[in-house]
Amino acid sequence: MSASNAIGHERLEALLAGDAPRTSDETRRVALLAQLRDATLSAPEALRSRVLATAPSRSRAFVRRPSRRLVFVVIPAAFALAATAAIVHGLTTGSSRPVSDGLIADAPHATAGQLGKVPPTFSGANTVTGSGGVRSAAPQAAIASPQTTLAPVGGTSRLQHTDASLQVRVSDVEHLSSATRAATRIATSLGGYAQSVDYTTPQGGNGTAFIELRVPAQNVQRALAQLAGLGTLVSQHVSVQDLQHTLQVQSEQIGQLRRRIAALQQALADRSLPDAQRVLLQIKLAESKRALAQRLNARTGTVTAGTTARISLVVSTEKSVVTPAHKRGHMSRMLHSALGFLGVEAMVALYALIVISPFAVLAGLAWALARARRRRDEKRLLTA
Amino acid sequence: MTIGRRRAVPEDVNAVSTPLDAPSARTAQPGFADVAADQLDAVFRYLVFLTGDRSAAEDLTAETFEKAFRTWRRFDPRRGSPRTWLCQIARTTAIDWFRAEARRKRREETYSRDFGQASELMDGLPGPLEQAVRELSPAEREVVALRVLLELDGPSAARVLGISQTACSTRLSRALKNLEERIDDVRE
Repeated sequence: MSASNAIGHERLEALLAGDAPRTSDETRRVALLAQLRDATLSAPEALRSRVLATAPSRSRAFVRRPSRRLVFVVIPAAFALAATAAIVHGLTTGSSRPVSDGLIADAPHATAGQLGKVPPTFSGANTVTGSGGVRSAAPQAAIASPQTTLAPVGGTSRLQHTDASLQVRVSDVEHLSSATRAATRIATSLGGYAQSVDYTTPQGGNGTAFIELRVPAQNVQRALAQLAGLGTLVSQHVSVQDLQHTLQVQSEQIGQLRRRIAALQQALADRSLPDAQRVLLQIKLAESKRALAQRLNARTGTVTAGTTARISLVVSTEKSVVTPAHKRGHMSRMLHSALGFLGVEAMVALYALIVISPFAVLAGLAWALARARRRRDEKRLLTA
Repeated sequence: MTIGRRRAVPEDVNAVSTPLDAPSARTAQPGFADVAADQLDAVFRYLVFLTGDRSAAEDLTAETFEKAFRTWRRFDPRRGSPRTWLCQIARTTAIDWFRAEARRKRREETYSRDFGQASELMDGLPGPLEQAVRELSPAEREVVALRVLLELDGPSAARVLGISQTACSTRLSRALKNLEERIDDVRE
């Protein structure tokens, strides 16, 4: 009797499950399986006693180990958590009110975000700049409220030079013309003047007016508020430069020069002074007087700069000058903030992945090598 | 007697349940004593077949249940039957024993145990069949034990052996064919 020919896996499984044999080979295989199954073997009583003696009869609570399917819950949960955090961030940071007329009055206390996301920056020890954009829905109200201000300007006894630039949008050319005249009128009414006006209305219905205004420093806030009310305020930039230190230095230099001139004049009054020395002193006196005149002019210029603010006003009908960021609504800003936060989260995750991945790859390789070695070792042992 | 070194019990030994004896997750959790009493003979038979040595199988069985008792809290019946879990522990224990035997062979240049001269494997096993079984490799004997004697299904046996289900079927088919051939050789 020869060994059975190869029986397919499916048939072998069927025979193991109790299926009736179909061929002689299968009959022989079933007989072999029956012989194996008929053989009995029970653990010796000594072994049974030994094993059962160590096993307590009471039931023990099973520790529920997390299933691998938990991965399919954990990963979506992590993504959901990240998205939730982004939404919460968007709600908390994106729900700030957009800068409006009401905030114009509070601008000195407004946050950077309220000032069009551009915080006031300190570009120097004596300079403060700030910029932002607002939309004025009620220009007349702004004009009527002389207390409104656009930026932290003035409010101090120090000598400061204010340099402001505003962009205002009007609906059409007719309003552009009236706004240009109104700007000049505002400057005049506040004690200032229009240094230059560049009014352009090319074909197509759009136009732009560039107006350079000079207004007294004490009226700059009122001027800005009223100018902002000429239309829809698109952007603003206010720069305040502290001139107090410059004025103080110039005043000290002037004092020194005056004292020096007085000393020189006193020395020249001495009739016993030798001619050569007298000539030398006269030269020094002339230089000092010239320097004094320069310092006086410079101080006059400093005082003038500190008492007169320069305002550059651009009135335009072009829609392109509108800053897109200021067109965002509440939902848009919230979505933008949430997406930004998601981007930060993704960046952090990517960074962590970059840091961890080499170690993970090494660990995986070590695990795979150890597994392969163990398999090879087991195979060698069990096939011997 | 301590056989082999202690190894950690594999984490996923009971990932696949067997329809033969897998308890439902909703049923009451059995105690370890009940499981030990139910599965002792099966584990012992498996180890006898795997090692070909009853005496060693007794020690390995005891060690298997000691390990199982220590890790009983980690056993999750939702993931498989106690028999599958115990067989995996028994296999790990037996492999340690094989490794120790191999070291001893290298040291003494001879096996201390001769499978051919050992006591009979099982009661009621015909002589030619028993001799043929002894001539199989341990890997072939264990797959026969798992699939035929312990009646584990394909996925559970493959899980215990750490191989694919196809490889398990192939190994079983080859083992049975070898067994028939060796029976023929013995009878001739």
